[in-house]
Amino acid sequence: MTRVFSNLALAIGAVFAFAAQAADQQVIKRGEYLARAADCMACHTAEGGAPYAGGLPIHSPFGTIYGTNITPDKQHGIGNYSDDEFFAALTEGKRKDGANLYPAMPYTSYHLIKREDADAIHAYLQSIAPINRAAPTTDLSFPFNVRTGLMGWNLLYGKSVQVQPAAGNSEAWQRGQYMVEVLGHCGECHTPRNLIGALEQDKRLSGGVLNGYLAPSLLAKDLAERGWTQPDLATFLKHGMSAQGSMFNEMYPVVHHSTQHLEDGDLSAMATYLLGDQPPAARVVQAVAHETMTASSQRGRQQYLNVCAGCHGADGEGKPHIAVAMKGNTILRQADSRNLVKVVLDGIREQQFTGFERMQPMPGFAGKLDDQQLTDMVNYLREAWGGLPGDLSTEQLAQLKVD
Amino acid sequence: MSNRDFSRRSFLQGGLVAGVGVTLAPLGSQAFAALMESRVTTSAQKWMNNDGKARFRNDALSKVCGSKVFARDIRAKDMPGWPQQQGHAMLLKATKADRIYAGFDLALLGDSLQPDRIVTAEDLKKDGIAWPEAHSPDPLLPPGQVPMFIGHPVAILIWHDFERYRKAKLKLQFNDQAIRYGAQAPLYQRDPYGSFRFVRVGGATPFDEDAFSSLKNTMLFPTILARKPVWTAEPKQHGTLTEQGLFYAGRINEQLSQPPENWLLFDERYKTPSIEPAALEPDNGNGWFDAASGTLHFVVATQCPFEVAHECVHMIKPSRFGLKHLNMHPGYTVGYGSKDNNIFVFYAAVAALYGAGVPIRLANDRYEQFQSGIKRHPFDIRYQLAVDKNDLSFQIFRAEMTVDGGGRINYSPSVAAVGATAAQSIYYMPQNDLSVTAYHSRGVEAGSMRGYGTLQSMAATEMMVDEIADRLGVDAIELRRKNALKSGMKNTQGAVPAGALRLHEILDKAGEHEWWKTRHARKQAMDAKDPDNWYGVGFAITQKDFGTGAEAPMAAVEFAADGQITLRHIGTELGTGMSTSQALVVSDFLGRVADHVQTAQTEWPELQLSTSANPYLISQAEQDAALRDPRWVGKLASPSSATNSAFYFSHATREAARVLFNHGLWPAALALWRQGPFGGQANPLVVRRENAVWVNGALTGNGLAPIPFAELARKAHEMGLVTGASVHGFNRWSWAEADFVIDGVRDRLPLDALAVKYGDGAPNAKKAQMNSNGFHLLDRQNALYPATQLNNAMVTYYSPVATIVEIKVNKGSGEVHVLNHHSWVECGRVLVPELVKGQLEGGIAMGIGHALLEEMPLYEGGPGVGDWNFNRYRLPMARHVAVWQQTSEILPPLSPTDPSKGIAEVVMIPVVGAIGNAVAHAIGKRVRDLPITPARIKEALNG
Amino acid sequence: MADRKLQLTLNGQPVVTEVVPDDLAMLDYLHEYQNLTGSRLGCGQGICHACVVIVDNPDGTCEEVRTCITGAHYFEGKKVRTIEGHAQLDDAGNPVALSPIQQKFVERFAFQCSYCAPGFVNAATVLVENAQRKPLKKSELEGAIEASLGHHVCRCTGYVRYYEATRDVLGDLGLVKEG
Repeated sequence: MTRVFSNLALAIGAVFAFAAQAADQQVIKRGEYLARAADCMACHTAEGGAPYAGGLPIHSPFGTIYGTNITPDKQHGIGNYSDDEFFAALTEGKRKDGANLYPAMPYTSYHLIKREDADAIHAYLQSIAPINRAAPTTDLSFPFNVRTGLMGWNLLYGKSVQVQPAAGNSEAWQRGQYMVEVLGHCGECHTPRNLIGALEQDKRLSGGVLNGYLAPSLLAKDLAERGWTQPDLATFLKHGMSAQGSMFNEMYPVVHHSTQHLEDGDLSAMATYLLGDQPPAARVVQAVAHETMTASSQRGRQQYLNVCAGCHGADGEGKPHIAVAMKGNTILRQADSRNLVKVVLDGIREQQFTGFERMQPMPGFAGKLDDQQLTDMVNYLREAWGGLPGDLSTEQLAQLKVD
Repeated sequence: MSNRDFSRRSFLQGGLVAGVGVTLAPLGSQAFAALMESRVTTSAQKWMNNDGKARFRNDALSKVCGSKVFARDIRAKDMPGWPQQQGHAMLLKATKADRIYAGFDLALLGDSLQPDRIVTAEDLKKDGIAWPEAHSPDPLLPPGQVPMFIGHPVAILIWHDFERYRKAKLKLQFNDQAIRYGAQAPLYQRDPYGSFRFVRVGGATPFDEDAFSSLKNTMLFPTILARKPVWTAEPKQHGTLTEQGLFYAGRINEQLSQPPENWLLFDERYKTPSIEPAALEPDNGNGWFDAASGTLHFVVATQCPFEVAHECVHMIKPSRFGLKHLNMHPGYTVGYGSKDNNIFVFYAAVAALYGAGVPIRLANDRYEQFQSGIKRHPFDIRYQLAVDKNDLSFQIFRAEMTVDGGGRINYSPSVAAVGATAAQSIYYMPQNDLSVTAYHSRGVEAGSMRGYGTLQSMAATEMMVDEIADRLGVDAIELRRKNALKSGMKNTQGAVPAGALRLHEILDKAGEHEWWKTRHARKQAMDAKDPDNWYGVGFAITQKDFGTGAEAPMAAVEFAADGQITLRHIGTELGTGMSTSQALVVSDFLGRVADHVQTAQTEWPELQLSTSANPYLISQAEQDAALRDPRWVGKLASPSSATNSAFYFSHATREAARVLFNHGLWPAALALWRQGPFGGQANPLVVRRENAVWVNGALTGNGLAPIPFAELARKAHEMGLVTGASVHGFNRWSWAEADFVIDGVRDRLPLDALAVKYGDGAPNAKKAQMNSNGFHLLDRQNALYPATQLNNAMVTYYSPVATIVEIKVNKGSGEVHVLNHHSWVECGRVLVPELVKGQLEGGIAMGIGHALLEEMPLYEGGPGVGDWNFNRYRLPMARHVAVWQQTSEILPPLSPTDPSKGIAEVVMIPVVGAIGNAVAHAIGKRVRDLPITPARIKEALNG
Repeated sequence: MADRKLQLTLNGQPVVTEVVPDDLAMLDYLHEYQNLTGSRLGCGQGICHACVVIVDNPDGTCEEVRTCITGAHYFEGKKVRTIEGHAQLDDAGNPVALSPIQQKFVERFAFQCSYCAPGFVNAATVLVENAQRKPLKKSELEGAIEASLGHHVCRCTGYVRYYEATRDVLGDLGLVKEG
């Protein structure tokens, strides 16, 4: 009898276990998605490394911070974290041992993550294969190398992202806000930072500078000024490319690890949030006759033909699947031309986008063009397709080069 | 449907080119010299060491200096006698295959860029161009029809200058704005290109007579209903051949549906990608039609110049252009099969006709090459293999294969058939039922790209065998050893492969290889050391048939009185070193290499050959009747391909040289040695021809004084002996033979046509016989031709290659990285080891591309659209191939008399299976669709 | 669109072409205006590197430049070497002395069809000549070769012989130092 009972108990137990497992699987699946949306991978995976095993160097003005191992390894990862501890780390930057995390961990955005979402992410991370390896030690200059020093910082800025009231906005807008401001932590780059590295919340999403590149303003009026519409923005997040150009530099890992994996509904919600429920009309740049351009721009056309037109087309039309068009390209429409100059000098490495889209490397032209040639070319690009005056001086250009 | 198109090259037969002189224009200018290879190749002294080993390729100097060696390099001004002005052409193409084509509109070019001439379907019709049947219908799509495929050409646009052509092309590129489309329409439909079934039920042992096989009985052809193969005949054990075949196939299926307890039944699907050959020289031709003399001068990149010449004549002769001469100038080229039987050359020839006296160049850019260049066929394969779990023996092998041939019939039928007959790889299968069908699709035309179906099927077989070993829990090399063919066993068609099979020798070596022996420990250690990647080891072995079952090599070897040796050959240099190798083959009999090598020779008037019927379909009675004509041969000429070069090409070269030795040099040597009273120095010795040897370019043997070649040559000329031989051979899995009376001596030779030249000192009466283009054409006697039934053998010549690889799979990206690989090759006697190793290294790189990197969508969004290039299509780069680490081993020949066997295609195959097996070892999951991309790895891991 | 004059030094010879379209690719200029066809069109898109030439910089260094995606006018005033400029030729145009890289490529059977060979010769030559100014450390040798030749596509050979030949030349010329 006892035996029968215990067998029955086992059987019942198995059924429960199975159901629980299925529920777990669902939570894990959701957690995986949320981890994508929160783009944990971008910082917690080294190039060529196992997922979430840490090791990616994150360069900051204060030194190099390494993404930590967040696989469930008990020695080097988060294998011993409870849900509460994980939630604290995610939202308050508190390590299990109580130490403060460096604010490269965007807990200033994540502090608004819903508890159930955090638990799902945690469940997912606990489900992946543990990697038994320590991430390299972070190396910061004083005073940022003193973790306790971060306490004060946290008091001041730790919870500084506060979402706008949702009232009057659509459901998509509200979802988009959570995706953009909290999970996507877009503001961590697209908002300027003060001298001690804290976000200037009064200038939220109005653009920041990161390793010499501009993370451009995501304010609706600025996006529209640069030619963005909601559908294009959603396409851009999905595929890393749209009529406005392709992602490069720090945005490339974002599409690679995060946004391409998101559901269309969430992407369009993000676009809705960014451009607003009543988006401003995207500005269309009018063609400028060659003869009316500045002398510098007119000279610049030959530079463009010499080193750009082979891929981007003599008339800026681009080549399908090869090189983005200059016509309509958003980067040409950023008034300070910092990114344009940077990208011309540095080039872009080979980038795999969705499906069969794969962009060959763009060569960098540092040392190939002198400042005058470069200025002329940038002026031509600004005036021909950027809707901007071709009035950049070589001095201004030289300044952009060193910034 | 009929299976007439099964014949790989039947349509290229067609008798003589009546009325039109197909010639090669005289040498002289720089361009001609380059094209004719006399300057591309360098004199033998420069490229040979004293020890008779090649120091470098005989074409290397021109190539490394960037000289004009490719047809692609030639412009009008390089050609003697051509007008200076160079015109250019491009093909306008329709890229929507689901819409009616309604004409085109070039208004977007404006007035200034309008073409000087536009050629459409209507022009071809009106002007009587007889487009080659094999590349029909609708070379240019007429309005009102739906395209046969994405990228169907609709017009040839011709400009008489470069600049307007360039500007216009920039506007027409990457869009189909010039094409007007009409209504939505059903896709173009046609019957399958070919469908075959190979059933074999062996006897009690592999050496007993088969109960049924393709060779003994027949291969099976289905009925085509609703564009699908169906089997309408009744299975009958004692019925017609087809009914019998279906009976045995039925018996096989019954066993598979109710397998005994002790059988493991494997049943999985494999898919292979469409592959762009990516020959770096894109398709091109450059022609000038000189209306005054009715001459078409044609510089062209082709792997089969002979066929192109003949087809061009047949195409243009009936037209209004009044063709009287065709001067063909094939250049050096590269194609991996993609420039064989290629429709492109005919567009180029036609463009020239419409050039209005201006030479016209039609040259694909890379986008156009992706769009229309011949592809490797994608296969969809279902394999079933029954294995006896007790003794590990394979019992029944069943395959169903579907092959996508793209928009035009090319070699799809034979690629399909060869793919099916190669499926067994290296294993003995007691029973098999292999069926395959090649279909039309709206994709890009697929053809004879390197691998020829065998890459697709054999790589899958090697992955299957490895997986079965896993399922059985046995060592995968042990399982192979258990089932590998041994000499004398039959293949899946019931034929016995040629010569000794050395598969077990290779398997033994592989089994002893360090990576294999310690693979489990290695994986453990590597995975611990490198937590970012999974490590794996994989092995595969294949053997590749070579040849087509209707090979017809031709060669002529002559020596002058001053000792200069000239070799003319039908083969084209494709980068594989064929001209270097053939120059070396001559030395087997002449003691030194040829000084001058002319390849890609299309003209052999001295042999006065004729042919009729299709060599694959000819009946025994027809063949017997045709053989009464001593000029008739089973096939006029082989096209050139890399695998063929070593075995088939060498045959012709060697036999020509042998005739010169036996009937020229040897009698001359005897005369020299017997000078003096009582037979001179030779008198006290027994002089035997079989003891003659060449030492440092001089003939000796039996202790006789060595005579340098030049002295023998002078003597042979003085005596009027045989100093030149032009030969033709025919091979249908064995060589045709005949008797020839050569200079009064009867000789039985593996040749079916022979013409000889006599030395300068020959008496006038003897010289008068040299009335066939300077040769004395001999009549063969007692010709013995391979039986037509041998057509069912499909393949009998094999070269085996095995590869073991070490890989790692990245846990984050899912990318597979080849760490190292080692290969074993058995290819008989090696002519130039450096060339063989080079072929091996190159083939492996191509295999790595096939296994891991190269992929395109087949239809919409694929290459037919015209916007594909190497950014999206990933070619293997040095970083992918373990460039510094890789090693290989060529097995020594069994004896110096081993034939040289073809290898080029086979070398790329085992690495594909080995990588698939290594991935399974690394990640613990099987990926059966190629290429093994990160996406497929992730799918396998998550699925 | 406009045409303009182009002046450059091509294989040591000053060249002036009066009318060169402003958007003409250098590869087309070499092929159709100079009849120098050794620089090959492979992809036409800057990927395969079969079309590269050498530009000699005023500071004595040299570099490879892709001619299929670079306009002819980029080379205005520059010193350009193409594959046709490496070997010494006799009056009949036959090569009498190859460059060290060419020589070794030939001896090592580095190429098969040779369509890509001019690009590899130029890239390896740039590496060798720059190493003559600044020798390579032994530990950097293979990496330097990979960096120089790594973007070049070869479909025939599997790259092994090109790489080994380049390594040999660098060693033979004493351009590899311990370390």
